[in-house]
Amino acid sequence: MIELHNVSKVYPPNVVGLRDVSLHVKPGEFVSIVGQSGTGKTTLAKMLFAEERPTHGRVTIGGWDITAIRDRDVPLLRRQIGVVFQDFKLLPRKTVFENVAFALEVSGAPSRRIKEVVPQVLKIVNLHEKGRRYPGQLSGGEQQRVVIARSLVHRPKILVADEPTGNLDLVNTQEIVDLLKTINQFGTTVVLVTHNRDVVNALKKRVITLSGGEVSSDEEEGRYKV
Amino acid sequence: MTTLLRVFRFAFQNIMRNFWLSLITVSMMMFTLLSVNVLVALNLVADRAIAYVQDKVEVSVYFDSDVPEPRVVDAAGFLRGLEQVRDVSVITPDEALERFKERHARDETVLRSLEEIGKNPFGPTLVVKARHPGDFPFILEALDHPQFANDIRDKDFTDYQGVIDRIRETSDRARAFGIGLSVVFLMIAMLVVFNTVRMGIIIHREEISIMKLVGASSAFVRAPFLIEAILLSLIASALAVLVVVPLVALIDPGIGAFFDGASTIDLLGYYQVNGVALFLAQFVVLAGVSMLATGFAMRKYLRV
Repeated sequence: MIELHNVSKVYPPNVVGLRDVSLHVKPGEFVSIVGQSGTGKTTLAKMLFAEERPTHGRVTIGGWDITAIRDRDVPLLRRQIGVVFQDFKLLPRKTVFENVAFALEVSGAPSRRIKEVVPQVLKIVNLHEKGRRYPGQLSGGEQQRVVIARSLVHRPKILVADEPTGNLDLVNTQEIVDLLKTINQFGTTVVLVTHNRDVVNALKKRVITLSGGEVSSDEEEGRYKV
Repeated sequence: MTTLLRVFRFAFQNIMRNFWLSLITVSMMMFTLLSVNVLVALNLVADRAIAYVQDKVEVSVYFDSDVPEPRVVDAAGFLRGLEQVRDVSVITPDEALERFKERHARDETVLRSLEEIGKNPFGPTLVVKARHPGDFPFILEALDHPQFANDIRDKDFTDYQGVIDRIRETSDRARAFGIGLSVVFLMIAMLVVFNTVRMGIIIHREEISIMKLVGASSAFVRAPFLIEAILLSLIASALAVLVVVPLVALIDPGIGAFFDGASTIDLLGYYQVNGVALFLAQFVVLAGVSMLATGFAMRKYLRV
């Protein structure tokens, strides 16, 4: 599903983000990427949805080499990859329903499909009764669930979650992790970037540890060891 | 179709969320269009004023009172045969007398003098209109032909060339000023549009970044800004119509009166006939220029 082959990222003038990273993520896998701040976790995550391009090496998503993806093809890629961020990135003047629908609207989905899909994904994240609320009227965990709902509207094959629990308390963190596990059980490949030790250890899934921009360990049922 | 409607909706939202800036943009656009319309009206009035004065330029050829009518008709025929002559009309001695009396109806002294003469002192007159004011020297020279020269008592030619030159000079200056003003307004409007789009991009930065993240195409992100430029141009054009047309209707009688009621300077009629095409052309140019400014702003500030 995801293939990185000798990928390096060097920022001008000479700051190394990633160094010769090679990894393979199978379809339906749940992978946690861990490491200290500045070790290249977010750079790696951004490469998966073409927000960053590698300086060297090759990135392949579902057999599609996106190393030198054309600008006009980036939207097509992003409709196949759900993205969740720590800072939510919700539009405060749109309701929960409108925020989720926004992803479909800007992709040119017909209104009928929007009316059909949005309630479905809101139900998955258990927010179907709060569709008319605004982000400001929701808790942090609920806001993150809205973001997850938005990332699901295109029925993505991959979900990239970059520190999704970074701003959440323990209870909300657990809710989000459970939600990600549920989505993974539906068959979506989940790439979770985090430095939350408890979350990683509780998951008992594959853990890739980055250190200094390199893969320092890659374990099938790993634990957080930074 | 759905996508197009959404693009329009986003464009409309941009305008409303950025209301005051949109208002300034529309105002500047409208000033540009108003100055262009002043220029159009000025051109029209100047051209028609010159045509009006040119039409008034004529030579009156006074024949001796004893010249028989057939010779006057011959002279008229000769003049009509000249390429430089547009029109020749013959005024009989009786008509000349009547006109003279009408012209001096309030001048007792003149009328009494006329009575003292006891007979019609006027001979036949030819009123000659040339195609161009520059043709008059040639026509006057032609009348010196021996065949007619002895019958002609006097030739009266008012030199309107100076008047025409002054009108042309004044209108050229006003036109240059109008063009300058229009260009200045257009440049300001472009800068304002550029700034409006820049502000729009800054205000919608978050929204744009989310649009990109969730798979909006570059065209979809850009299109609302271009549509916004078109909508603002459309609003400005509509407002310009609402201002210009009543204004023209208001000043048109005044201009007509200034030119002695001449119907040739029918500014309102001109706008009635050509208004749609004129305002459409102005809208198209304004929208084109605004889209260009929007393009520059997006190129500089919108990374999609």
